[in-house]
Amino acid sequence: MSAPVAPAPAAEPTTAGPGIAGLPGRSLLRVGPVSLQVRRRSVLVAAALVVLLLVAGVLSLSLGTPYVAPADVLRALSGAGTPYDLVVFDLRLPRLVLAAVAGAAFGVAGTLIQSVARNPLASPDVIGITQGAGLAATVALTTGAAAVVVAPAALAGGLAAALLLLVLGARHGLAAQRFVLAGVAVAFALRALTEVVMLTADPIDGLRAQIWLIGTLAGKGWTETVWIALTLLALLPVLLWAGWALNSSALDDDTARGIGLRPVARRIGLAVTGVLAAAAVTAQVGAVDFVALVAPQLARRLVRAERPPLLCAALLGALLLVLADLAGRRLFAPTQLPAGVLTAAIGGPYLMFLLLRGRRRSS
Amino acid sequence: MLSTRDLVAGYDERTVLDGLDLELPADAFTVIVGPNACGKSTLLRTLARLLTPRRGTVLLDGTAIRELPTREVARRLAVLPQSPLVPEGVTVADLVGRGRQPYQRWWRQWSEQDSAAVDRAMALADVAGLADRPVDTLSGGQRQRVWIAMTLAQDTEALLLDEPTTFLDLAHQVEVLDLLHRLRVERGRTVVAVLHDLNQAARYADHLIAMRAGAVVAAGPPREILTADLVRDVFGLDCVVVPCPVTGAPLVVPALTSPTLATPPAQSTPAGAAAPAAGPAGAGRARAPGAGSAGATSSGAASSDAAPGAGSAGATSSAAASPDAAPGAARSGGAPSGAAPSGATPAVGGNALAGSYPSEGI
Repeated sequence: MSAPVAPAPAAEPTTAGPGIAGLPGRSLLRVGPVSLQVRRRSVLVAAALVVLLLVAGVLSLSLGTPYVAPADVLRALSGAGTPYDLVVFDLRLPRLVLAAVAGAAFGVAGTLIQSVARNPLASPDVIGITQGAGLAATVALTTGAAAVVVAPAALAGGLAAALLLLVLGARHGLAAQRFVLAGVAVAFALRALTEVVMLTADPIDGLRAQIWLIGTLAGKGWTETVWIALTLLALLPVLLWAGWALNSSALDDDTARGIGLRPVARRIGLAVTGVLAAAAVTAQVGAVDFVALVAPQLARRLVRAERPPLLCAALLGALLLVLADLAGRRLFAPTQLPAGVLTAAIGGPYLMFLLLRGRRRSS
Repeated sequence: MLSTRDLVAGYDERTVLDGLDLELPADAFTVIVGPNACGKSTLLRTLARLLTPRRGTVLLDGTAIRELPTREVARRLAVLPQSPLVPEGVTVADLVGRGRQPYQRWWRQWSEQDSAAVDRAMALADVAGLADRPVDTLSGGQRQRVWIAMTLAQDTEALLLDEPTTFLDLAHQVEVLDLLHRLRVERGRTVVAVLHDLNQAARYADHLIAMRAGAVVAAGPPREILTADLVRDVFGLDCVVVPCPVTGAPLVVPALTSPTLATPPAQSTPAGAAAPAAGPAGAGRARAPGAGSAGATSSGAASSDAAPGAGSAGATSSAAASPDAAPGAARSGGAPSGAAPSGATPAVGGNALAGSYPSEGI
């Protein structure tokens, strides 16, 4: 939402006035020859999420030992030297930014994967990306490899799993069901291998691997942030296209072909982008469950679109992970819970809620 | 505008169309009919480049459709698949707007032309009043009109539809077909549809294509090609073809297949009213080598003069009982000669078949 936003013309649903009437609930954003359709509700939701994210950010910088009053946090952020600079800038800010960036990446990955899978339950940890990264990380952690090797190894593992998934799912043009089934198969196989590696390893190493698998932001910061952010940045042009392409991803293949789309090529593009984002973020922060699953679905409901909206899902993912990390730090302080535990604890009931809601609607 | 050359198409191992050469006239309403699994949907999907043929080509105005960018094809030819998936929660205007896809790019997502085309399409399909409604809350008939509106928003010269009336009740079927007819007549669009109902096909089509087992059996104006022989040939069904009392188009009435069908419900039959049964029996007369010749029984004799009247296109008991039945008899007599392949047996009694159960009649 950083582009020069021209005041959108109020679109009348059915009348084509002298200007351009957009579709109901949409506004046009015109910059020179560029004209983008924007859901008005998406804009509102995105704005609200940004505000909430800022509030959660300040809260996250403020809470902890020592406590820093929000006013002092703001003062420190504005560059006026305060006694809290060390706490705010060096201890809390890196982790906060990492949570936001990683959460956004999870949100993006989840949105793309769910759109390709046509399934609200699909996410990087269901289709095997997380397990690929987890297996590689476990191997690295239990064989005494240097700490710096863990993240690159996890990235390689995630990408290898993604490749396997795409190859297995490629027949029939990466059809939704095949994509999901291939992913579930890959996930189970890799998980089993991970268990084997963990059980045969030194118990201490096994525990370290276990913690990595749960996913935590503790002790992480700028380095991890930079890697995730670079990946997202590299994917940005594709994401701009994806935002538009997702618009028609709910159509079946015949209908899509009928209106001049190439659904298979489109699906492969979206899937590759999604698994790249998922592998990149999982390699850095581990398997933070459910953010990728929940953020897109929650965003979709907030925006009332037929498919998860990319930008709102990213913002919501960021918000969720920031809150989860904050809760993990504070709920049982001084004991720190990994963010992944918190997201899983929230995600489970959320899934049940979705199921119950679905049942009520269908009855 | 669409034609095929030596078209071979199918799914996986199964070849459905084997060497099809076909010419679809422009500015006409073409209807493809045929029994289930005869390849009519496969043909339509191949024509609309939804299915890639194994061999041969589909030509769009003389150019191989595969060599044209799919986006360009989508500006010249719109297609409505058999049962398109309705995206959850999408509004009518939104879905109709998707029809503008071939004119859009991710950096040019909407224009004045798009707005105008969507408005036009919604007005034409009579769904403008539903613009803000989610499509998944609409009735089947409304929904089908919305899908048609989406294809209309594509502003194409040709429109291909795969069984657009399936799952609709009769009134909605007529509504959809009337819309397609208007598109052809008032807007000069080329319309190609796969239909199940032969009588609707005969009523609306300018050009009828009858298919069986992946091959075209007959093609031409329905009034010229639709005969009882063709129906038997294509569907394996004995029938009578009479002129439709409303349009004059051929009307296909299946022959009597079971004597019990000719029996009126016992409780609703007053004493002297053997006449109602004469209707189907009259049809049997025109059809019928086997069933019609079954020996007349006494009960039929009472209504012998009412029988021909009832024979006209599904006339019901009331018609048979009233003296008005007589004009109907004349019309029945004027049925296309093709309708009576074997010598008609004029003196068949009203409910001859109802009286006895000749085994060959069942």
